[in-house]
Amino acid sequence: MARDRNNQADYMRPIRNIVIGVLCFCLTGLFLIWRIDSPRVERFRAALVDAIVPSFDWALTPVTKVAGMVDDFQSYTRIYEQNQELRRELRQMKAWKEAALQLEQENAKLLDLNKVRLDPQLTYITGVVLADSGSPFHQSVLLNVGARDGIIDGWATTDGLGLVGRISGVGQNSARVILLTDSNSRIPVTILPSGQRAILAGDNTAAPPIEFLENPDAIRPGDQVVSSGDGGVFPAGLLVGQIALGADRRIRVRMAADYERLEFLRVLRSHGNEVIGDTGGLVAPSPIGPPMTTDLSAAEGTE
Amino acid sequence: MIDPVTSDRAIHRVLFVLLAAALLFLQLLPLSTMPSRVPGPDLLLCLAFAWLQRRPDYLPPLLFAGVFLTADMLLMRPPGLWTALALGGGEFLRSRHNTSTELSFPAEWAFTAVVIGAITTAYVLVLNLLAVDHARPAMAFVQAIMTVAVYPAVVFLCRSVFNLRRLTKAEMDTQRMQR
Repeated sequence: MARDRNNQADYMRPIRNIVIGVLCFCLTGLFLIWRIDSPRVERFRAALVDAIVPSFDWALTPVTKVAGMVDDFQSYTRIYEQNQELRRELRQMKAWKEAALQLEQENAKLLDLNKVRLDPQLTYITGVVLADSGSPFHQSVLLNVGARDGIIDGWATTDGLGLVGRISGVGQNSARVILLTDSNSRIPVTILPSGQRAILAGDNTAAPPIEFLENPDAIRPGDQVVSSGDGGVFPAGLLVGQIALGADRRIRVRMAADYERLEFLRVLRSHGNEVIGDTGGLVAPSPIGPPMTTDLSAAEGTE
Repeated sequence: MIDPVTSDRAIHRVLFVLLAAALLFLQLLPLSTMPSRVPGPDLLLCLAFAWLQRRPDYLPPLLFAGVFLTADMLLMRPPGLWTALALGGGEFLRSRHNTSTELSFPAEWAFTAVVIGAITTAYVLVLNLLAVDHARPAMAFVQAIMTVAVYPAVVFLCRSVFNLRRLTKAEMDTQRMQR
């Protein structure tokens, strides 16, 4: 019996080994191609995800909703504390609302006096979150809007309040949003009262750190962080979050967007600012009198 | 008439694909988009290794590679590398299975742990060597430990729910005769 089994193995094993060798070779090759020419493979990945994930849409949405309901139900158990908390917050908010209204009036008056031309309002497309990255090492979500809806790589995404991420990878019916917490995310920001420019570098934690800060002494926890629009990556002035000091004594940003529950995201259409390249030509006076004859003869020649 | 061994094999292969799809589906659900502090176990790897060491014939290398490559693509991992490493580790476990059928569970667990540790180390090394931006390599090892920790549970589930157990020598011989 034992010999029999060996005979069987004798001719099966080389074939198996060849198959496995070829497979490993192809897979390693694929990885190297990805490393060398990442955009092409990522485009292929976007197309693949676009083909697979939206077809599960019918199942993804209900299951997510049911899980959300279970979460909500759990929160009923501490509804009294929550109610108290909300009342407290509401009192604070009323004070803020008053302040905001006054400021709004003042702002409108000043703008009117100055004849300031503000940036045009950004238009947006809203998408539903279909899926997340599914891996603890990547922070991204998949939206159900894509090239069909005119989405373009690099556009900013917000949840209505704060910046969430940027579009990276567009399929026909889906688009991937790299969240600001992902370790590959770097965006230029301005820290508001001091006006300092810095980079918000995601590191796979809930509160990403600030890098390349010129003067750390000039900022304090609670300062507002907005996108700076440097490098034309994002439109300027989108709220990102607040400065906070991390447990590791690094300056981090507490995000304004609710990363706990991303359901609907706005993709902001940004068309890039006009760039003024040259210093401008000489403004010559327009010619007076009949048009020059050379133009006429040239026109006749072509006819 | 399809003989029962072949149909049983086909059913289990389809079952594995369905299980892998369900796992991927659960992972893709956008339940929490907060970065987690401790990464969860890689259940797909657990499942594959458990099947491989119960019934190697239910999980041919081509199917193994196909499922893992799809997972690589959907989970935004560098495509191919994890699949190649898992395939290598799986083949090592399979070759061990062929030499000795009677292996106590603790020994099998220890071997699996060593293989998971080795492929994780190789993965992190290659990513660092090629300067691929990878978030906190230490977390990859935490994930490996979690994966090893849930392995017995996955094996228990496979055994109780899907009735997946090692063939005895006699069964194996009858199967080979039929082939």
